[in-house]
Amino acid sequence: MAIKKGLFKTSIGRKNLMAFTGLFTSFFLIIHLIGNLILIIPDSYFPIEFWGNVASAHDMYNAYSHFLVHFWPISLVAWVLYAALIVHVIDAILITLNNNKAKGEKYKVTDNSTSTWYSRNMGILGTIIGLFIFIHMTQFWLQYKVLENEHDLYNLVVATFKEWWVLVIYEIGIIALGFHLVHGIESAHRSLGVYPKNAMGIVKYIALCFGIIMAVLYAIIPIILYFK
Amino acid sequence: MKLTLKIWRQDNAKAKGKLVKYELSDLSTDMSFLEMLDVLNEQLASKGERVVEFDHDCREGICGQCSLVINGQAHGPEGHYTTCQTHLRSFKDGQTLNIEPFRANSFPVIRDLKVDRTSMDHIIQAGGYISSFTGMAPEANSIPIHHNIAESAFDSAACIGCGACIATCKNSSAALFMSAKIAHLAKLPQGQVERAERVVWMVNAHDDEGFGSCTNTGACAMVCPQEVPLLDITRMNYEYNRSLKTIDS
Repeated sequence: MAIKKGLFKTSIGRKNLMAFTGLFTSFFLIIHLIGNLILIIPDSYFPIEFWGNVASAHDMYNAYSHFLVHFWPISLVAWVLYAALIVHVIDAILITLNNNKAKGEKYKVTDNSTSTWYSRNMGILGTIIGLFIFIHMTQFWLQYKVLENEHDLYNLVVATFKEWWVLVIYEIGIIALGFHLVHGIESAHRSLGVYPKNAMGIVKYIALCFGIIMAVLYAIIPIILYFK
Repeated sequence: MKLTLKIWRQDNAKAKGKLVKYELSDLSTDMSFLEMLDVLNEQLASKGERVVEFDHDCREGICGQCSLVINGQAHGPEGHYTTCQTHLRSFKDGQTLNIEPFRANSFPVIRDLKVDRTSMDHIIQAGGYISSFTGMAPEANSIPIHHNIAESAFDSAACIGCGACIATCKNSSAALFMSAKIAHLAKLPQGQVERAERVVWMVNAHDDEGFGSCTNTGACAMVCPQEVPLLDITRMNYEYNRSLKTIDS
């Protein structure tokens, strides 16, 4: 009899869990980006209709963030997202510990030309992203949603990005995210065994495009806000 | 030509090893890498020193017995070659070569450059076989198989089990080696009987032997002497997720 062990217990199961949580978080990135893009709509573009009487990016952004915090199905998805991120991190630590145990004595000379640097350093990139998320959440999520110190999120965001060091931290975090996505999206499909008619080339291309598009669009928002 | 060799010397699995420097001159560029090591061993033997031990057998690139990590790359700098088929013309005159054994926790060093690769056999023993009727050899064309499927299965079956993929992997994962057998048998009608069980058995054996998780860097397929496709790992993951939670025999 062949018995499959639990998701956390086999080398493939752990990678499946990584893939599921990673892909779910990637979907969230798209939604998050759409919200962020409201910030950079020029005021001359208004008035446009957005749930009633909205006349500026300021109002539109605040209405959108109010909706996110007070609409319960979205709060539910948010909890799933926090859980996914935590599982992603715990699973990554488990995989890394196990892989370090599997490694023998270190090579005196290594040739790294056979793989890309970012595919080998997903853990380091992930740690940078983790630190970035921590800073990001204490700046906005904690202030707006948990402590409710600030009720005008648009003003908080615009004021925060006037500091040059905030800009630098965000750009570093976003660049790390871009590389993490380029390898992560492809690797997730491979780990789940998804290969539509052997079209791994397409998956690789989509991963590259997704990583670049996400990184570029996320990266320009703080820059525009800084110089606005 | 002249070469400076830094070779890993280690008395046994428990002893501490170190790189030892040797100088060789008057070498021919037509020599294979292993012939160069033979020349070194002859010189060491004539001086009464212990020779450098390394694995080798057929010396024609088909048995998977030779190993060695040369300047950080399994089987040397050519890519998709075995060490025995790597010749000295691949190196520059006067170059320094760093020669180390295949390293992984599941590959204990026996002596010098020789490692114990039995753990790979255990993975194959767990499920790398098929059920078939015994008796006379069956008629070859009694099972029709599409040419493309036969070719694709053969690409995977070409694995010679040298372990270069594991030695190259930063996680010491045997994913490419294991997936080659799983993909090979999953593609063919003869492999269907144990298709679901096989992948579970082999993955469990792989983990029990202490190999790591595949992180899809693709380094393994870049050094594989038989060019086993990287897609086989994806195929294996598909087969694993396709198999049921518990399979009764």
